[in-house]
Amino acid sequence: MAIQFVATELTDDERALQQEVRAFCESHLEDGSFEPGLGMMVARSKELSLELGRRGWLGMALPTEYGGGDRSVVERLVVVEELLRRGAHLEQHWTADRQSGPVINRFGTEEQKRRFLPPICRGELCFCIGMSEPDSGSDLASVKTRATKVDGGWTLSGTKIWTSNAHIADYMIVLCRTGESDDAHKGLSQFILDMHSEGVTVNPITFLDGTAEFAEVVFDDVFIPEDLLLGEEGDGWHQCTSELSFERAGPERWISPFLLVELFLREYGSSLNPEARSFLGSSVSRWWGIRQVSLSVARMIDEGLAPSVQSAIGKDLGTEFEQTVVAGLQQLVDLEPSLSSDRLFHRLLARAILISPSWTIRGGTNEILRGIIRKGLA
Amino acid sequence: MIDSLVTETADRALRAVATFDAVQSAEERRWSPEIWDAVASIGLPWISVPEGAGGVGGTISEAVAVLVVAGRHAAPIPLAETGLLAGWLASSAGLSVVEGPMTVVPGRGDDDLRIVDGRLSGTAHRVPWAASAEQIVALVDGHVVVVSPSAGVITEASNLAGEPRDSVTFEAAPIVNMVPAPDGVDADALRFRGALSRAALMAGALGAMTELTVEYTSQRRQFGKPIGSFQAVQALIVKCAEEAALVDLAVQVAAREADRGEARFEIASAKLLADEAARVATRAAHQAHGAMGMTQEYTLHHLSRRLWSWRAEFGDAVWPQRVGDAAVELGADRLYRAIAEGSASGIAL
Ligand SMILES: Cc1cc2nc3c(=O)[nH]c(=O)nc-3n(C[C@H](O)[C@H](O)[C@H](O)COP(=O)(O)OP(=O)(O)OC[C@H]3O[C@@H](n4cnc5c(N)ncnc54)[C@H](O)[C@@H]3O)c2cc1C
Repeated sequence: MAIQFVATELTDDERALQQEVRAFCESHLEDGSFEPGLGMMVARSKELSLELGRRGWLGMALPTEYGGGDRSVVERLVVVEELLRRGAHLEQHWTADRQSGPVINRFGTEEQKRRFLPPICRGELCFCIGMSEPDSGSDLASVKTRATKVDGGWTLSGTKIWTSNAHIADYMIVLCRTGESDDAHKGLSQFILDMHSEGVTVNPITFLDGTAEFAEVVFDDVFIPEDLLLGEEGDGWHQCTSELSFERAGPERWISPFLLVELFLREYGSSLNPEARSFLGSSVSRWWGIRQVSLSVARMIDEGLAPSVQSAIGKDLGTEFEQTVVAGLQQLVDLEPSLSSDRLFHRLLARAILISPSWTIRGGTNEILRGIIRKGLA
Repeated sequence: MIDSLVTETADRALRAVATFDAVQSAEERRWSPEIWDAVASIGLPWISVPEGAGGVGGTISEAVAVLVVAGRHAAPIPLAETGLLAGWLASSAGLSVVEGPMTVVPGRGDDDLRIVDGRLSGTAHRVPWAASAEQIVALVDGHVVVVSPSAGVITEASNLAGEPRDSVTFEAAPIVNMVPAPDGVDADALRFRGALSRAALMAGALGAMTELTVEYTSQRRQFGKPIGSFQAVQALIVKCAEEAALVDLAVQVAAREADRGEARFEIASAKLLADEAARVATRAAHQAHGAMGMTQEYTLHHLSRRLWSWRAEFGDAVWPQRVGDAAVELGADRLYRAIAEGSASGIAL
């Protein structure tokens, strides 16, 4: 059977939330008050994260008893969509809010939830994800970093790479080997690692645009206390694949170059020729369609379904489209992009050219996603 | 919500009659009474036409859902024309529909229909199934005009899928009915309705094409294994599936909004996405089929030739232009609202 999506739309309450977030953005994210980014590639502002936490816009889908909002995936989509399209500086809480919080809520102990979720919901904690290694990218189950049982806990040795935000993170959720098994998917576990532990070295890796987007993280006999094992020993593969399988189709997978197009329209406006207008029209319509996909997936999650194939479709369609938009803009404007231009549109276009290849790589490459989708079609 | 009973009934009826041979021979005969009778006997062509006007009632969404099913089966009948297009024109002008198939003059730039002394003259082009229709409905000089095909001279022509798209020339032909078109019923509104109908048919054809490609690539073996086990082929299948799913969803939303009122942005977007899918997905499906897809002896062409035809009907290049112009008009400050809210943003096509 072909895969289908069910149309959905925002309820009145969700629209009211959208209005609230828009009003907030108007007053707190004025043009020129910060350097906007593109999608997940944005700056960090502790103040903004704390403010969003105060408003109840972090940890939205987490239970209220841990400081969350007990709200829905759709409501979270409504909030992050408005922030992301403005290139807001969400770096501080992004990973914790999107990924680490939900996974701790799902698999963590009562004590872990009480300890980590409230500060995550307040926007105080920065998390990073320690999955990829030098020899383990798409073949994630082959990770070699290992935790060995010792008195009162574990010691961790190995190397993670491409870890976004490692240099600013308070904690990492690290995937590593804890047992021996012929099946690579077994014997893996997840830990919540304090990035300030002794033996953790963060070696920055310069990203294509010159920023410190990610790093190599080396563990040299790092002690992890017993109570920071996340979930079941040996269950790490299942835990970490479930972590992202549904939420792949979020706005960060299709909205990244929106601000660029908005600026393009502002800058060139009514002088656009028919070719540029057609490009703009196709882009707007496709954005609208892909957003419907994203919304449909979020609604399915809220209804308790497990739309992993639909999510993968959303991400493949969304990220490919994002790259098409950047390439299309490049064709339409006659300029030599520069990161140091005094015009925001030019700076952002330059950045987009440099970072857009990563959109179809991070979080599972599109080739790997297509394998998942193909299986879902059988 | 669409009553799944309607689509299931439509699917069952068409599965029984719109077989490969029936679709193939409809092309040679230029008409398939068997397929038409099967859907007409259960009232499908008149969904969305009010009961008071001789229809069976129901929403645009329901009519569109049935068109998706019709597209899946490559049904060679004027289903969209009878209900959503001619039926809409007639009923909105207070006229009743007839029992047989009806068709519509799409209204192309080279048409020159005109009314002189209460009679119709001129030529209408690309009229679907003109020769088989009981009545032709056209918009002429601000009027909804109903004529009988036998009142004109038909020059046969077809689209790429061999579906009749005839020219009809009238010379002071008698008119069955002529009523001033009410507000909101004009050539542009017809074009949007036509685009919605084509996008719906395309959504169905894209879904069927995906399933056919999955099936074929799991059966066809090369190098000792199913070709569907090669990643390069899998990527083609996935491309097809993704485009089909996207268009299907866009069509659902466009129909939902059309039932509520203003839906020009949604319809233009759905058609634009369908047109793009017709390009990308048919390429992928054909590639995955190899030479087998290039023969009329195998089913793929019933779908791919229709997709290429429907892509061009009721506008293709015009949609990106219109959405683009409307986006420029809307302005940068409100651009995102068009993406998030569609027509409700005030984007005016
Ligand atoms: C900006 C950025 C941020 C990142 N942040 C993080 C992070 O915070 N934490 C983290 O753990 N990781 C992070 N990553 C790493 C990311 O998850 C990996 O890059 C990704 O999983 C792919 O692994 P790889 O780079 O080793 O590529 P490889 O797996 O070596 O793949 C290279 C190419 O081969 C293809 N390929 C590989 N295997 C197959 C196969 N079986 N079939 C078909 N094609 C195949 C891939 O699709 C790709 O095109 C980040 C990456 C980027 C670019």
